[in-house]
Amino acid sequence: MTDVTAMGPAGAEELEGTVFDIGYQSYVGPREGRGRARWAVYKDGLRSALGLGRGPRAKVIPWFFITILGVIGLVMALIAGAVNTYIGPNAAEVLDLPSHSDYYGIASIVFFVFAAVGGPEMLCPDRRDGVINLYLVRPLTGSDYISARWLAFFTVMLSVAWLPQLILLAGLTLSDANPGDYLLENWLDIPRLLTAGLAMAAYTTSLALFAASFTTRRAYASVFLVGLFVITAPFTTGLASELAEDYEGTAGAWVSMFNLSNIPVHVNDLIFGEVSLITSVAPAGEFSGWILIGWYLVWTLVPAGLLWMRYRKLTP
Amino acid sequence: MSSVYLLTLSQLSGRWRLLVMSVLALMPIVLTESLVLVPSGASVDEFELIVLNTMLAGSITPLVVLAIATVAFGNEVEDRTLANLTLAPIPRWQIVVPKLLATVSVAAPFIAISALATSHVAFNADATATIAVTVSTLVGLALYSSAFVWLGLATTQAVGVGLLYIVLWEGFFTTYISGVRLFSIRAYSIALMHGLDERRFADTENLGFGVTVAVSVVVFFGFLLLTIRKLRNMDVP
Amino acid sequence: MTINSEPVIRVDHVSRWFGSVVAVSDVSFDIKPGITGLLGPNGAGKTTLLRMITGLADVSDGTVTVLDQPIRNNSALFGRIGVMSEHETVYGFMKGREFVKIMGRLRGVSDLDAAADRAIELVDLVEASHRPMGTYSRGMRQRMRLAATLVHDPDILILDEPLNGADPLQRVQFQDLLRRFAADGRTIVLSSHILEEVEQVADTVLLIVNGKLAASGGFRAIRAALDKRPYHVRVMSDSPRELAAAVVTLDSVEAVNIDPDGAIVVLSNNVRALQIELPLRAEAASIRLFRVEPMDDSLESVFGYLVDG
Repeated sequence: MTDVTAMGPAGAEELEGTVFDIGYQSYVGPREGRGRARWAVYKDGLRSALGLGRGPRAKVIPWFFITILGVIGLVMALIAGAVNTYIGPNAAEVLDLPSHSDYYGIASIVFFVFAAVGGPEMLCPDRRDGVINLYLVRPLTGSDYISARWLAFFTVMLSVAWLPQLILLAGLTLSDANPGDYLLENWLDIPRLLTAGLAMAAYTTSLALFAASFTTRRAYASVFLVGLFVITAPFTTGLASELAEDYEGTAGAWVSMFNLSNIPVHVNDLIFGEVSLITSVAPAGEFSGWILIGWYLVWTLVPAGLLWMRYRKLTP
Repeated sequence: MSSVYLLTLSQLSGRWRLLVMSVLALMPIVLTESLVLVPSGASVDEFELIVLNTMLAGSITPLVVLAIATVAFGNEVEDRTLANLTLAPIPRWQIVVPKLLATVSVAAPFIAISALATSHVAFNADATATIAVTVSTLVGLALYSSAFVWLGLATTQAVGVGLLYIVLWEGFFTTYISGVRLFSIRAYSIALMHGLDERRFADTENLGFGVTVAVSVVVFFGFLLLTIRKLRNMDVP
Repeated sequence: MTINSEPVIRVDHVSRWFGSVVAVSDVSFDIKPGITGLLGPNGAGKTTLLRMITGLADVSDGTVTVLDQPIRNNSALFGRIGVMSEHETVYGFMKGREFVKIMGRLRGVSDLDAAADRAIELVDLVEASHRPMGTYSRGMRQRMRLAATLVHDPDILILDEPLNGADPLQRVQFQDLLRRFAADGRTIVLSSHILEEVEQVADTVLLIVNGKLAASGGFRAIRAALDKRPYHVRVMSDSPRELAAAVVTLDSVEAVNIDPDGAIVVLSNNVRALQIELPLRAEAASIRLFRVEPMDDSLESVFGYLVDG
């Protein structure tokens, strides 16, 4: 901008219309494909599940749940530590205090409620506000979208499952008279708690997202899920124990299989090779491991498959 | 008043919602029927703990009410339709009261049938016990409604907060810390049931009948007033 | 047209802030019967101001009175006001006529059917009135909402961006409708970020920029006042002192300053004349001009944006 010069008439006189360049810019950067689109949906899922990048109110609920779950792990570690200190070394082990194998059972109800509140957040607003159409006009198919969302929520649930266990592990190790020996003796707990966490997270993610795919209002999906988890517990325990008293067969055990909050905990028990606090009273525990694992797979893979079917053919 | 009531009724009835409520309301009936059919059966104490206390008063009633009550104002706030009502020349209580009434009238039939059928089956058609269970459950329903209608107006995260309250406060703390019963709708409902049929439910751990009635009135009208106040002071979206 | 000098709506030193964000800052004005246009770019604070005028939102400071009464929580007053917000606030499950009727019932209209018929006829939606509003186009929803706003025959109409989604024909019909209402002596406030929409109907314009009242009055009067306002114009040239000497004798120039960086700053009372005369003087004195820019042009540019926009 240094000179003011007059423009001469343009060379081509036959032109009658002119389009002026008033500064529109076309996008000149690289154009990325499906992988990047999937990654974006995944990342956005992570952020919305944890309320990141949103106002403080969106953060309250998820982080409150995470705190509660962490506190459960912390309290279990503190109790073990206090027992070791005041009663004597290794007293926690001798007394068989709740430990890694019991944690998922104890925390399961909070874990499920967290999934029930957070899962619908993954899917409902996108459909309610019509944002899903914007996703689908990108190089992204319905399957890409739903698998990215499933993975995002799975990642969150997995981290939330593992974190308190790791706190508990740190607590138990450090409160032992000889931390090195403790780890050497109990190293098997680490792959076990990681695998059991995978089982917990896959199960809750599939069920929560499946329920969320039926409604555009988060509230109904959440209430329905909590209803399933909270109510099948007293429903089945009461009836199952009565049946088990009266009948020789497996009627009571089968009723107890429908306790939705216990399904992944039975798998947890198989992984740890011992019955946890929560499932010790459940007649379903008498079934063989293969039945329990099969039952778990049915309740994880069927909802996940139906969820995928619902989204697979989605077009804008 | 009647316009807001009818409007809210049509907002609250939807197929998915009615289905969820029916499934929830059916659960105690099925469980009770099954328990009765099992030869040894459950004792009255077991039945009270599992079905009446844990299921009906502690989870099904609050869950059904939560799904409905938080929508009474929640959808209006979310869809920005609340201004249609607050700009009408009617006092704010004439918006809140019909919304609360509509919530109660949508939720009550499900819960009433559930409570009635459950206690009818369990107590061999004993009228006193059946009435005690049904009335106390409905009182619990009214209290939850008043609280959750307020919650739906007070926060956009009403369902999350409400579920935490139901699971942690009414479910966990009320069961394990006896002092919490002074501040628990589930405990009021159970105490009322004991007061209405002392013959069958003889349990002295609960609040007294008179205290329960007084506290219930305070809770119901307290949340009602809070809701009206909130609607007066808030910026309507 | 009724001439009434009493203000119907009085906004007195009103501010509204959300946390540390000031949406409306110390705004005062009176609104009299007739059509008043609230004009400003998106995000200027028009909606917040209208929400305070209707009592939907509270003020952080100042007072808003309608018909000499405070508006906030004054439900008795709401019966005389019709409000149409910027959002598409309809119940999708409801049929158009039901919506108009329920809005009328809430506002205490006695002969509901007649009132609903009249309002729906005004917006020309009789045929669609028996369909659920979820099936309407954007323009139809807007018109049905207008019918619901008019059903109780209010004295005061407050319309936030009412022409969103309207096609050109509907625009003309709507403007005719507003003129008829104004001729009845009603008070109408409508907001827009498009000057043209407001200019054609409004007697008075309130120009809101960045939460502040930037100008008010008739559209032409604002334009004239803008032209008359003294302006600072900054000129870069190859010989500033000669240029200063050349322009200081112009009638349109009140003062000239020379900045240390070699620019001259001309204070002009008539920018239009200066635009023509400045290059002529420069050419006569063989001075090259590099750059001519107005220094205090925020209002001018906003107005320019709205006029051209």
